[in-house]
Amino acid sequence: MNTEYAIRIRNLVKKFGDFTAVDNITFDVRKGEIFGFLGANGAGKTTAMRILCGLSRPTSGSGTVAGFDICREQEKIKRNIGYMSQKFSLYPDLTVRENIRLFGGIYGLKDREIKEKTERMLDMLEMKDAGGRFAAELPLGWKQKLSFSIALVHSPRIIFLDEPTGGVDPETRRRFWELIYDTAGNGTTVFVTTHYMDEAEYCDRVSIMVDGRIDAMDSPAGLKERFAARSMDEVFRIVAGKAVREE
Amino acid sequence: MWKYLLEKEFKQFFRDPGLPKMALAFPVLMMLVFPFAVSMDIRNINLAVVDNCMSEESSRLIEKCTSSGYFRLVSHGHSADEAMKLMDENKADAIITVMPDFDRETVSGNGFPAGIKVNTVNGTKGSLGSQYILQCVRMYLAEKNQASGIQAVQYAEISEKYYFNPGMDYKLFMIPALIVIAITMITAFLPALNIVSEKEAGTIEQINVTPVSKTAFIVCKMIPYWAIAFFILTACLVIAWAVFGYVCRGNILWLYLFTVLDIIVMAGLGLLISNYSGNAQQAMFVIWFFAVIFMLMSGIFTPIASMPDWAECITYLNPMRYYADAMRAVFLKGSTPADLWYDIAGLAALGTIMVGLAISSYKKSE
Repeated sequence: MNTEYAIRIRNLVKKFGDFTAVDNITFDVRKGEIFGFLGANGAGKTTAMRILCGLSRPTSGSGTVAGFDICREQEKIKRNIGYMSQKFSLYPDLTVRENIRLFGGIYGLKDREIKEKTERMLDMLEMKDAGGRFAAELPLGWKQKLSFSIALVHSPRIIFLDEPTGGVDPETRRRFWELIYDTAGNGTTVFVTTHYMDEAEYCDRVSIMVDGRIDAMDSPAGLKERFAARSMDEVFRIVAGKAVREE
Repeated sequence: MWKYLLEKEFKQFFRDPGLPKMALAFPVLMMLVFPFAVSMDIRNINLAVVDNCMSEESSRLIEKCTSSGYFRLVSHGHSADEAMKLMDENKADAIITVMPDFDRETVSGNGFPAGIKVNTVNGTKGSLGSQYILQCVRMYLAEKNQASGIQAVQYAEISEKYYFNPGMDYKLFMIPALIVIAITMITAFLPALNIVSEKEAGTIEQINVTPVSKTAFIVCKMIPYWAIAFFILTACLVIAWAVFGYVCRGNILWLYLFTVLDIIVMAGLGLLISNYSGNAQQAMFVIWFFAVIFMLMSGIFTPIASMPDWAECITYLNPMRYYADAMRAVFLKGSTPADLWYDIAGLAALGTIMVGLAISSYKKSE
């Protein structure tokens, strides 16, 4: 296992019939890095991310996530990553505490550990009083913070965030990114997809997917320099504008 | 891991606004309401009489019919047209026409100049109705012959003896079958809907990225429904005993054994449905399709032996056929698994196929 990289992907291809969703991508993500995974809708981001999370098998190519093979060691990958989907996917008819308990238990935490973790987590999220509320009743911003914390309940080495801040106000987004920075500061690798280009600026490195390929990959500053753009927004429009594939 | 998943499923089950109530209401409804609703005993057959004889003999025949309790006399006149009109208007289910020379002919033993017409729009009512009339006629003739001392026996005496359900009690016959229907619904269709709704909500995705194996997830989902199935079976048996005084003839253990077998088949079917349905609406349609076929092709309401051969072939693929047959046999006859090896084989074969198909299609969905 290479100690420097959290994710190493080589020539990854995923085909659905005749359609090539992911077309030969290769990239590395360093440990503790915040890696932005950008691309227009339909560019193949979600498909690629599902392979990295062990939800789907690649057609060809190889790679490791948290040191485990993406084709053969999917169960080990799952134990070492956290995942927050773009759709709220905690159980709406369980309370905040019960959701934490369920996912803690699933990842093999002991009852006592779960209790401690729950209190710490609710403290940090300033949701002490909301512990007994059903997840369905929470405001969207809280739901997202809770999903994020639950994805971290087992202290994974890598966390995958799929458009974590969709639909919330700028202030909540800013605070969410503070959480992301704290997490990366603790040595967790953050792999994040987003549609907000201001968020792309916060990443250490960014890749832009176009029609299943990675057409650009560098730090935000590096990309802006290379495309002579003032913002990531401009970079994205230049790179993603070349897409032929329809959504 | 199992502990937490089970905890979740049970909490969700008891928090559902409908499910716990349904689990309680089901056995009560099934035992106290449905047996009466599905009864095939036919009463109140509307009878029109066209009496062209108007003799003592003819009125005795008619009295025989009306006193049987099965018929309600709606008209008693001379006009055949009028009687037909009543039948056209659905006011009469059967017409007895008595010919003018009825009294003379029957007394002399030469013949029986009377006719029976039956409305068979409702086939069951029609065929049972004509049988009841024939029975009344036989009784009438028998009494007559005795009275007049005529030795010539005009009909073969048929004596029937009913085994296992001597009173031909329809309720007793239907109770095991109703249990079968309830358990099938609860163990196949509810878990299927539950899994599909997790798909729809996206919560299953969150579980899929955890180390929880798919098998553990599915089994934990089904366990609450299995618990309910056994609760319903037990509650039904208790109600049947407490209210109607029906006791299972055979060993109750065999009822539970067959229920376990059926549950395995149904678990496979439920999973299969959920694998191929993306949303609850699709799943509902598939469920409805299977529910109707299962019930009508099971022999629960109509005997399989009287189905045409091709229809009988379909019943071999119906798990409910074997389960219902076994439950009735244990409950009414006291059969043992040794007598019912055929049903065990059927359920085991279908279970292997269903579970096999379900697992292979489940893996493919990755």
